[in-house]
Amino acid sequence: MKKFILKRLLISVVLLFFVSLIIYTIMRCMPTSYVENQARALATRPGAKSYQEWVAQLNAQYGMDVGVLRGYFRWLSRAVRLDFGDSWFWNQPILDKFRDVIWYSFFLGLASFILEMVIAIPLGIAAARKQYSMTDYTVTVIALIGISLPSFFFATILKYVFSIKLGWFDLSGTVSRMHQSMTEFQQLMDIAKHMILPVITITVVSIGGMMRYVRTNMLEVLNSDYIRTARAKGLPESRVINHHAFRNTLIPIVTLLGGSLPALFSGAMITEQLFQIPGIGYTSYVSIMQGDIPFVMFYMVFLAVLTLLGNLIADILYAAVDPRVRVS
Amino acid sequence: MGAEKEELNREEMHLDDAARVKVLSPGMMVAKRFFRNRLAIVGMVIIICMFLFSFLGGALNPYSQSQVFYTTEVMLKDYAGAAEIDQYNFVTAEGESLPKDIYSKTMIAASTGKYDFTSRDGADYRLEPLGEETYLIYILEKTGPKPKDIAEREIAVASLKSITADAAGETLSYEFCKAALTAVAEEAESFSCDGVEYTSEFAGHGAMIKKDASSYAFVSDMNFNAVNSGTKLSTAYKLAALEAFDAGAESFTYPDADGSEVTYIIQNKNGQYLIRKNQETKVIDDYAFPSKEHVFGTDGNGMDLLARLMYGGRISLLIGFVVIAIEVVIGTIVGGIAGFFGGATDNLLMRLVDVIYCIPSLPLFLILGSIMDYYQAPPTARIYLLCVVMAVIGWVGIARIVRGQILSLREQEFMIATEATGISVRRRIFKHLVPNVIPQLIVFASMGLGDVILTEATLSFLGLGIKYPAASWGSIINAVNDVNVMTNYVFVWLPAGMFILLTVLAFNFIGDGLRDAFDPKMKR
Repeated sequence: MKKFILKRLLISVVLLFFVSLIIYTIMRCMPTSYVENQARALATRPGAKSYQEWVAQLNAQYGMDVGVLRGYFRWLSRAVRLDFGDSWFWNQPILDKFRDVIWYSFFLGLASFILEMVIAIPLGIAAARKQYSMTDYTVTVIALIGISLPSFFFATILKYVFSIKLGWFDLSGTVSRMHQSMTEFQQLMDIAKHMILPVITITVVSIGGMMRYVRTNMLEVLNSDYIRTARAKGLPESRVINHHAFRNTLIPIVTLLGGSLPALFSGAMITEQLFQIPGIGYTSYVSIMQGDIPFVMFYMVFLAVLTLLGNLIADILYAAVDPRVRVS
Repeated sequence: MGAEKEELNREEMHLDDAARVKVLSPGMMVAKRFFRNRLAIVGMVIIICMFLFSFLGGALNPYSQSQVFYTTEVMLKDYAGAAEIDQYNFVTAEGESLPKDIYSKTMIAASTGKYDFTSRDGADYRLEPLGEETYLIYILEKTGPKPKDIAEREIAVASLKSITADAAGETLSYEFCKAALTAVAEEAESFSCDGVEYTSEFAGHGAMIKKDASSYAFVSDMNFNAVNSGTKLSTAYKLAALEAFDAGAESFTYPDADGSEVTYIIQNKNGQYLIRKNQETKVIDDYAFPSKEHVFGTDGNGMDLLARLMYGGRISLLIGFVVIAIEVVIGTIVGGIAGFFGGATDNLLMRLVDVIYCIPSLPLFLILGSIMDYYQAPPTARIYLLCVVMAVIGWVGIARIVRGQILSLREQEFMIATEATGISVRRRIFKHLVPNVIPQLIVFASMGLGDVILTEATLSFLGLGIKYPAASWGSIINAVNDVNVMTNYVFVWLPAGMFILLTVLAFNFIGDGLRDAFDPKMKR
């Protein structure tokens, strides 16, 4: 097991090296309008150097003056020491900004993740128990609608109905206008209230995949021999489902859930942007639009790390939970 | 006779007769199972409708996607202005000239009542009142050494009223001006000059001077200016306006060229009058509500939404199919090679797949969109580039599926048979292995189509995919970034969103139905 994990870890590191190299190359193609704007602003100051000199100096400062490969290794040598440099647009060290915004995304992700589990697992199992019944069709259609819904469209409908027509929630943001004058508990409730629509959006958009996953795996389990045996023994149906079938369905589900744990940190770019929630997704969106190369670079690599971590956890869990899986 | 023939037929039929046992090919079985699935049928119908709507509808619709529509709107617009004359106007007699400071001197003389004054160049002048605010100006010339020896010579008429001829280009003679101004100042109904009889018609402080019962000149204490330089204000119109000013009315009516009455609205600001009128103006027909001409209304640029939905559908469907086609080609080749050869090749190719799988796609598309923005790529180039980039990122899923399938198929007997018969490697992969993967490919492709359409819509929604003037369902919804549009013009964004949802849902229904049809094991 240890050898397996170590091998997977090593492969992940190699993959990460190439992924970040590709990302860095793409980032270098980004328009560096930020540098040019900055140089233009600096050059207009009284007694300042010429625009060209400033551009050269800023490029040197940000490591944009050397070739892609050399620039990449320079970036890498700092990144392994967790020094990602300063964000251009946010004017602060990237890790500081990251620490400021990540918790919004995390709690947003966590809330919708829990909601998803609570809704998707029972519905998926219910659908599988009576295949081709009305319940099954309804769950299938709901799941497929969730998969097919564009998040921006669903968010717009939610905003239109609940914010504009009913006036229950604010259109966007994380706090209401009177936030400063509230007690601490009220402030917490205020923020929670602002998170309701985003959480619903993320949940509905991503619930379909999990529902179908649970249903498929439950069907597989229900079609297996030991379930037939359990029924043949004359066990009550509730015990067959809850005890024999459900426990075995948990294997793939736990694997899936474990694998998606790192994704809780990745942020929902579109949803956060639509609801103006200053999480990592929104911050990165703004950074991309502003050409903030260091921050976007950090975010892309961060996402790649999360993906690799998710795969790793899923693999390890699969091997750990299911003794039938041989470590190879 | 009939019964006899039937007898004959029955005799000829054998147990293994093809007509006796209905044999279905595997493909027919799949089709039969597929068409039994109601959701899949719904999906098929939706997709066919979408294709007809986008491609046939786009061809039949009279409007193009970037045609801007205009409408006429009645707006209160400035028509003319009128200001009280506060400076004396001079009409000089033939051959005379006035000193430069005559304006101020006359003003002072008229207001103080000291009618004799000396101009800056030393000449003496005298005013003689003809009526209210109308004076005759004489120049005083010394004829002898005594102060009494002075001759008065008439050189001009000064008045706070202006006098203009009706006919363009006609200059009024001094004599006429003098007579007219005097008559108006005295409010005389008629006067004669050079043997011609004139009558005047008064309104307020102005008058229309008629010669032979038709309007000849206009005297008024107001200056009229039309806002449009092309418009000429007739004397009768000015007279009507003057009358309204005098009565303190807020509006008046005057017939236009066709004879219909037009209402003019007067605004008075310290003696400055502004005459406004409701005018029909051509404006862009933006956010027009659904009507007979525009079934879905128009968008913020005054373009027909139905046409844009049709053309947007073309783009979405086209991008979906092109991207999936490229993905399938790349994915099948890479996956097939990796699965067939295994070992180091497999390892290397699958690590490549892993690397691409790790690249976060949405941020990458956003970055590429902003790069294209920076280089101001033309809209068509953007569409092609978008297809290519989405395919280059998306093929890894297909490669994994193909490889997995081929790994298991490779060990089966029929592959040993192909090897034994000495069929070339290329043929073995692409003739014998890949066709067996096609069911999974079709399922994956139909579900992937929905994903691609969703991604394209998201990018266009963020303004980084398809750009104006080319339409896309996502970019139509982009209008909701304006809260005003979201609140008041639901018809702009709701249909586009429903179209995306329906299309993607239909592809997923089809994919789901195909999966069930291809994989009867799950049907137990």
